[in-house]
Amino acid sequence: MFVKRTIALLLAGVAAAALGSGAAQAQTPAAQLTTAGTRIDNTASVTYSVNGTSQSIQSTTASFVVDKKVNFTVVTAQTGPTVVNLGDQNVVTTFQVTNLTNDVQDFLLDPDQQNLSLGLFPGSDNFDVTSLRAYVDSNGNGRYDAGVDTQTYIDELLPDASATVFVVGNVPTQAGAKYAYNSLHVIAAAGGQANSQGAILIGTDLNLAGADNIVDIVFADDDSDGALLGDIARNGQGRAYSGWHVAVNNVALSVTKSARVLEDGLGSANPKAIPGATVEYCLLVRNATLTTGANGVTLADVIPGHTTYVPGSISIGTPGALGVCNVNGSTEDDDDNDGTETDGYTAAFDGLAKKVTVNLASVGGGGSVAASFKVKID
Amino acid sequence: MPIRPLLLLAAAALAAPALAAGPLQVTSQVMVEAKQRAADGTTRIALVPAQRVVPGDRVVFTLAYRNTGTQPLADLVFDNPVPRGVAYRAPAPNSPAPELSVDGRRYGTLAQLGAAGPDAVTHVRWRLARPLAPGASGTFAFHAVLK
Repeated sequence: MFVKRTIALLLAGVAAAALGSGAAQAQTPAAQLTTAGTRIDNTASVTYSVNGTSQSIQSTTASFVVDKKVNFTVVTAQTGPTVVNLGDQNVVTTFQVTNLTNDVQDFLLDPDQQNLSLGLFPGSDNFDVTSLRAYVDSNGNGRYDAGVDTQTYIDELLPDASATVFVVGNVPTQAGAKYAYNSLHVIAAAGGQANSQGAILIGTDLNLAGADNIVDIVFADDDSDGALLGDIARNGQGRAYSGWHVAVNNVALSVTKSARVLEDGLGSANPKAIPGATVEYCLLVRNATLTTGANGVTLADVIPGHTTYVPGSISIGTPGALGVCNVNGSTEDDDDNDGTETDGYTAAFDGLAKKVTVNLASVGGGGSVAASFKVKID
Repeated sequence: MPIRPLLLLAAAALAAPALAAGPLQVTSQVMVEAKQRAADGTTRIALVPAQRVVPGDRVVFTLAYRNTGTQPLADLVFDNPVPRGVAYRAPAPNSPAPELSVDGRRYGTLAQLGAAGPDAVTHVRWRLARPLAPGASGTFAFHAVLK
């Protein structure tokens, strides 16, 4: 009967390993496991009689100390890769670490780039994010908050408790970047001291006899990544995979230029383009891609011959209606010293090349910006 | 002055039962089941001293008794409360089945106690029907699981 039972347990273990990291296993909740370090004593009391006189004694006490059964899971807590744009800062993939040990544990976090394409996503890994970091969701809101979620290891995780971990990076502005795979490598460390990163646990050598009165460390963690080679069973470590996907490498950006005679110097109600008339040129920039902003948008426009630029006439703002180029437009100065321009837009007029340059910084997904400048007809 | 020896004698008399110096010696022992790899590559389950025990491990508690006196001992009752953190499973092979209790007062089989399963067992008890002759000995044992 015992033999059968053991085989059944072994089979259950194999099945769980084959299902991989995401499968929940039917097992005793870790919080109900006897805490490591607990001393188990067994004593019997015995009564008997000698010539009709009752006596009682206690047996000797057999005891042992419960050892630490280190077990935990690390899983990807998101579906598919995180969709990002080129140049995005602090992009996140989310993981979850659950402590199944019969004791409080620290866990060390080690984020890795994966340069091998693991087949998890439709495309191959072809770029790396920069400044790869891992942080615990300290405030437990499920979102990465830069400057708030700053803990770089999981501190004092109770049995059965879970912690959310973010692997954070910056997307380079690398043409053609599509997929960046990453993984979170988690290492069990000693708990017991709050606000202090515990030492990495080292399994007590299974070939050496453990001492009765010390807490041995026994690794019982599964191979967390199944067929992949990033983890093995019973090593006190785990690994899960995720990644980033640059879905859009370009946006549908359009520029429409229009001209309008503002006044002809004669006060006409319907001014004509005659010498001395002031003409406003309008450059309307539209980003038709709703999901993605266009960064670093620069416009350059050489003014036509036989016209003179009107100094200080560059204005940038929200597109207007009924022929008005922009409303609430900000006036930009003409020099190319951008330090004095603080509204996010900069502009300059190059008197030699007769070129107007406008830097819009970014045009949001589905957004539009209008820039105007004026010239006088010679 | 003559009072002092009397006091000492009284103290010795009180301490005597705790020392278990009587005719009955009962030794409690705990072993754990461990998988051992034999030279031929097979794995067998052996009982080893309970030095490395983690939750889920199967342990065996053994009571070994011996009458070291010169008189037969009658009405022997071995009452073993199941330690906290341990769940009773079954009598060990080669050991008589114990009577079980879920409250330490009423003993019987699980069915008689109306218990749902062996997890509810809090005490096990063995009774010897016949007096234990001088020099005679025996063992009781039960299997349990560390919770």
